[in-house]
Amino acid sequence: MTANGRLSLALAVALAIGVVAFTWPLFLRPESGMPPTLAPVMFALTLPIVLAVVLSELSSGHLDVKALAMLGVLAAIGTVLRPLGAGTAGLELVFFLMILAGRVFGAGFGFALGAITLFTSGLLTGGLGPWLPYQMLSAGFVGLFAGLLPRATGRAELAWLTGYGMVSAFVYGWLMDFSFWPFALGDGTQLSFDAAASPLENLHRFVLFNLATSMGWNLGRALTNAVAILLVGPALLRLLRRAARQSHFVTVAE
Amino acid sequence: MVVAEGTASLITLHPWAWWCWAIGIGLALLGTTNPLLLILAATAMIAVVLLRRTAAAWARSVRAYLLLGLIVIGVRIVFQIVIGGASGETVLFVLPEIPLPAWAAGIRLGGPVTAEALMFTLYDALRLAAMLLCVGAANSLANPRQALRSVPAALYEASVAVVIALSLAPQLIESLLRVRRARRLRGDSRAGLRALGAVAIPVVADAIDRSLALASGMESRGFGRTRELPVRGSLILLLGSAMVATGGVFLLLSTRWWELALGLLGIGGIGAAWGLRLAGRRLSVTTYRPHPWTLRASLVALCGIGAAVVVWLGAATDPEAFAPTTDPLIWPQLTWPMLAVIALVLAPLPLTRQRPPAVVHSARNDTRVRSLRQFGNPAVEVEAGAP
Amino acid sequence: MISFTEVGFRYADATHPVFRDVSFELPEGDLCLVVGGTGSGKSTLLGAINALVPTFTGGTLSGRVRVAGRDTAQHRARDLADVVGYVGQDPVRGFVTDTVEDEIAYGMEQLGINPVAMRKRVEETLDLMGIAELRRRPLAELSGGQQQRVAIAAVLAAQPQVLVLDEPTSSLDPTAAQDVLAAIATLVHEVGLTVVLAEHRLERVMQAADSMIWLPGDGTAHHGRPAEILATASVQPPLAALAKSVGWQEVPLSVREARRTALAAGLLPAAPPEPLMPSGAPVLSARGVEVRFGDLTAVGGVDLELPPGSITTVLGRNGAGKSSLLWALQGALSCTGDIAVAGTDPRALDAFSARRLVTLVPQTATDLLYLPTVSAECAQADAESHAEPGTTAGLLAELGVSVPDDRDPRDLSEGQRLALVLAIQLAAGPAVLLLDEPTRGLDYRAKAELQRIVRRLAADGIACLISTHDVEFAAGLSQRTLLMADGEVIADGTTRELLISSPAYAPQMAKVFSPVPVLTVDDVVRGLP
Repeated sequence: MTANGRLSLALAVALAIGVVAFTWPLFLRPESGMPPTLAPVMFALTLPIVLAVVLSELSSGHLDVKALAMLGVLAAIGTVLRPLGAGTAGLELVFFLMILAGRVFGAGFGFALGAITLFTSGLLTGGLGPWLPYQMLSAGFVGLFAGLLPRATGRAELAWLTGYGMVSAFVYGWLMDFSFWPFALGDGTQLSFDAAASPLENLHRFVLFNLATSMGWNLGRALTNAVAILLVGPALLRLLRRAARQSHFVTVAE
Repeated sequence: MVVAEGTASLITLHPWAWWCWAIGIGLALLGTTNPLLLILAATAMIAVVLLRRTAAAWARSVRAYLLLGLIVIGVRIVFQIVIGGASGETVLFVLPEIPLPAWAAGIRLGGPVTAEALMFTLYDALRLAAMLLCVGAANSLANPRQALRSVPAALYEASVAVVIALSLAPQLIESLLRVRRARRLRGDSRAGLRALGAVAIPVVADAIDRSLALASGMESRGFGRTRELPVRGSLILLLGSAMVATGGVFLLLSTRWWELALGLLGIGGIGAAWGLRLAGRRLSVTTYRPHPWTLRASLVALCGIGAAVVVWLGAATDPEAFAPTTDPLIWPQLTWPMLAVIALVLAPLPLTRQRPPAVVHSARNDTRVRSLRQFGNPAVEVEAGAP
Repeated sequence: MISFTEVGFRYADATHPVFRDVSFELPEGDLCLVVGGTGSGKSTLLGAINALVPTFTGGTLSGRVRVAGRDTAQHRARDLADVVGYVGQDPVRGFVTDTVEDEIAYGMEQLGINPVAMRKRVEETLDLMGIAELRRRPLAELSGGQQQRVAIAAVLAAQPQVLVLDEPTSSLDPTAAQDVLAAIATLVHEVGLTVVLAEHRLERVMQAADSMIWLPGDGTAHHGRPAEILATASVQPPLAALAKSVGWQEVPLSVREARRTALAAGLLPAAPPEPLMPSGAPVLSARGVEVRFGDLTAVGGVDLELPPGSITTVLGRNGAGKSSLLWALQGALSCTGDIAVAGTDPRALDAFSARRLVTLVPQTATDLLYLPTVSAECAQADAESHAEPGTTAGLLAELGVSVPDDRDPRDLSEGQRLALVLAIQLAAGPAVLLLDEPTRGLDYRAKAELQRIVRRLAADGIACLISTHDVEFAAGLSQRTLLMADGEVIADGTTRELLISSPAYAPQMAKVFSPVPVLTVDDVVRGLP
């Protein structure tokens, strides 16, 4: 199998597993006898295995030392940016860098950057919690799909990136909320997850829960992404592309 | 504090041992909602953390987790009061009812608040808070740098990227402060978002140049030299195991065949571990002074697993004690197996040593400290000790 | 040990090749010095020894490079790590770990050496470089000289046969540079390594070199004994300039050799006349300037007065407080004491107005540049200083350094970047100009350019204060010198008296012709009959 094939396969598997991990509330049936608070814990134990598998394939097979150093450096920038917004609702500066880097360096790099940035910032703040695998996976997806955006240049590219920034902010929020929902509410409230109800009804409840709690955050995140991409996007894209050009090399000629 | 945290910290317990212990206790607490057991276990964990953590910055994070746990309890109770369904007989107070229209799924805000429902929520939230505290304890006790050095060989490159990011983050902050200072030299006193471009671009450009210099240095020192071609089939094994494990969890959640599901989960886990080992074998990087896994580490890890076993067995044999009902409300009881669990939580105390106080060197020549202090950053305090 | 055979190299998008038909051979155990102006290809030559060029940097390499019997075309840089130890230009940027011990062990980990052998080698390398007491220290806490020695130790631990160093002493003060050079000399003479070294400041390292390679910049390379190469090269350290102006066939490589040759030839220049000290009401007067960081006093009670049109240099080792003093005088650093520039206190003004009184060119000039092209930077500078459009570009042209308009400022050479930042800062029309260590990374020609520029600015009435630890640069430029140590000014006088009376800071001409108080080759030439 070619290197690219391996990469695509690994990313596709990550995507599939991620979808299952985030939408488990819609699959949980009451006859399985599992209480809803247990299910996220099961996933919190399996997700690290999945992440380890995908990251190992990505990093050892497809990133040479220059890409690895660039990954480390960009993750460091993201880590430094993350606490800058803490305290203000939704001011999350860490995503626009992932989106721009994913755009320039590709889907695999974007996924790795998302996962590693969040992991490193968790390490630095002492916050390696059960939410981390979910965050790493969602952030990885943000970077991954940024690398899959269609080709464009100039203002069209900026428009694509800004739009993607806003959409991905909302999707990230929804994904994290999905995993967070049973923890916040537990069983027994009217907005709680009910295993006996149909998936659509649970979705309805989830949407209401989301509206009540995190719409503000998601909106804030979307606005931050859009503003940051519009402000520094062109200059950063130029810098990253210059670095990408400098990293390519031609083999020795006799 | 400016403390060196390299291989000097090898006399401490292996970080994975602390994580095993903490996750074991967490799984143990998952199996019970007895508030007495939960509160006692949480107190015991906090005691272990306070007595065995170092003075490093990351070791203070347990307080944040405690706070988070309390917030979770508070949030749950508020939600229960406002939109909870009423069940049970002892009504504490009644809030005015506001029925929402049909598109809001017919939810009724307010209504009677019963003690049974509140207690149920409290027990559940206590359990969650205690599990969060387990994770917080692991964060405070296990040195993250040491844990990174003991990562399986398949994840070596990923760990290199994390190590680079960790080493570079403080230097980036210094770079940011330097550029911000230099803005004033150019007559630019814009602050906040308008100065973002002028400050961010030089820092990012500097960081990118740095990454190339770093890559060149790593390459010259032989990075990646001992990596060979991937082993055939390791990818299929890895991805396959991941999917099998997920399939197992999926089955666990949506069907009744929990034996099959657990079996699949087990197979997936073992397959992934084997695949990672295989993938790691093509790298022959050695470790300078690897952290030894001692008998004490095994004992500490076993304590955690033992606690989980005791609780799950106890919950199967004595469900009323481990999961006291709230409808009707009864006083929770403390039984002997529970005391055994608390003892296991406290077990690492006699097994590990008190940390020696850290030695801080004089930082007169530390240009990084100086440049940080120029802005009166109180987070960096240095003792002017003897050099 | 190292042999280049008809080597040619061209970068992927370049019009001219960096090398054309370069051939030389370096025997084992040689210390070879690579000299040339900026942009002449020194780093590329060093990278070719290590196979970083072309596998890491791109481009096409023709010809053959053999190191210790291995052909670099067959290997990548990582495969040669056990034969060639390469230390790049800024060692701090190459550090991968946090502490000294881990950094030294890192290279060995990559080579897969077993842990027992690793521990032994770490100890041996620490002893060899004399840094054994630093083993647990975090890398960020070390001084520049210590960091350089750690970087060398880190590549030595793999026990290579060749050591390649790219400008190891460029950012170090004279004492630290001396330590590093002594360590390198030990490696050559005691351990038997072959060392290839690229340097701009040749004064101290010339005498230790066994051979020299000069890159004139046109793609050729000249290899030979240092005394012969320096006689014809365009790179002119003071001793070589002396030999050329006096007409000696061979260049003396050390002060002692030059003194003996001068005495034997009966050369005795006359004492130069006292320079004219600018007078007039001081445009900058500072009294009791004190900068404190918590309990650390960086600058303690400095009094200073600068008349207009004067050139003053501040000398001192790294960490003496020179930078802090300059930043405090600009008003960008909080300090106590009185500062008055043309009557007003720059600390009381906002950044824009303070800049029109006193401007500072910081150590890392690139911190000020953030736009994509040189012309964009010039336009922005005009806008920022409320000057006529085209002022900055005009200043840049007047400075006499050719800087193409559409180039990205990050792609410029050190000298060009310094000229650009100077033009940007001068666009505000200040009365006082402060330069913080401008000579890093500049070759002799660029330093002479900078001296010419500063003299022109002083002639226009601007008072210049320059902090540096390049003694030759100060000797050729300033009329007055301050010596700082531990945050205080310990000596303040004319450059001539100060430099001549201090053994550590005396320029080479003074030492060669002592007791005649000459500072530069020009003084000597003017003083000869």
